[in-house]
Amino acid sequence: MITRRKFLKALGLLSATAAGVSAKTSRAEPTEYYDWSKHYYSFVVDSTKCIGCGRCVRACKLENEVPLEPFFFRTWVERYIWLKGEEEPYVDSPNGGFEGFPVIYDEKAIRKSYFVPKLCNQCDRPPCVQVCPVGATYKTEDGVVLVDEKYCIGCRYCIQACPYGARYLYPFNGPRKSRRGTADKCTWCYHRITKGLKPACVEACPVGARKFGDLKDPNDEIHKLLDENRISVLKPEQGTKPKVFYIGIDTEVR
Amino acid sequence: MRKIHIRVAMVYITAAILFLIIRSFVVPPTFGEYDWYRGDSVREIMELPPQHANATVCKDCHSERYDLWSGGAHSTVSCESCHGPSYSHTKDPIIVSANVDNSREFCGLCHAQNPSRPADFPQIDMDTHGNGNLCVVCHNPHSPWVFGGE
Repeated sequence: MITRRKFLKALGLLSATAAGVSAKTSRAEPTEYYDWSKHYYSFVVDSTKCIGCGRCVRACKLENEVPLEPFFFRTWVERYIWLKGEEEPYVDSPNGGFEGFPVIYDEKAIRKSYFVPKLCNQCDRPPCVQVCPVGATYKTEDGVVLVDEKYCIGCRYCIQACPYGARYLYPFNGPRKSRRGTADKCTWCYHRITKGLKPACVEACPVGARKFGDLKDPNDEIHKLLDENRISVLKPEQGTKPKVFYIGIDTEVR
Repeated sequence: MRKIHIRVAMVYITAAILFLIIRSFVVPPTFGEYDWYRGDSVREIMELPPQHANATVCKDCHSERYDLWSGGAHSTVSCESCHGPSYSHTKDPIIVSANVDNSREFCGLCHAQNPSRPADFPQIDMDTHGNGNLCVVCHNPHSPWVFGGE
């Protein structure tokens, strides 16, 4: 027979354990040298400058151990072509633009054409994070959506939830063993930006079509770009609040 | 309170404690450190080694090339856009990445005539320009309007 005193004691012990668990959720900094509450990143793609050379695709693959063969991309370049007398654009992306874009239509037949670099939009309201059943993908305090490769079970739910097609399943013969069979995506080179470097694609772009900056830094050049240009985001109707802003694209670009 | 009530309560409490014990083993210690994910994951991703350095680091040793490059029309093209990722080279100069591709096709990646490119970007007709010679025979790739090659 258990006395009331014993029961209350056990209850007290239990609540103490619960308090211990909740104490772990206090917000500390990820590392000593980097304070993520002082940063909030943003990306600007100037489509009017892109020449479709594919240097960004290559740099990204080399930086992030993305398999070099098709069709695995953290970032890729699309070509939009409006032919004369046709309403809808023709869109292609041969091997993600990795080896450039061969000329396929005569210049005289083309009404309008340009390149659009694509990458993860690092949505402020990311649907991929919402659908993950195990908490393997999440949004950091500085606004980047990351994947925990050790915790991901490879269910592919996030891949189909992303309206931008930014995610892919890392192949089972990929170079990075711990990432095999998990969802992979652009991290804005989180390992670089937290050290003060620019993402690899921004570093590699020869014409400055890709710009990366910190919205919480008032002296960052990103403010000038966002203030002086007419900007848009992809698929605003999805309500995902993307943080990749585009300059010079039509509504057909999605 | 009857004896049976206490017994049922004990079963429930034991089950709850068992659940908490199993959970403490199964859930990683840093899960929930910031939110509903593993806090260590952020640190693991932050600690991945960079592959690309930056042109300002290249300047420390290759200052002559840097000066030629930074004053020319290719000053917007980062060293590593052509030379490849070189972070390991900046840490240990003995590690040298593969030689630069100096073929016509490589230069053509940017400069071949393509109607999708911005009209004001310098483009050439690959078939006629330069009579099939390597571009670097005439143009210095570090500053293309300096003629006489490398």
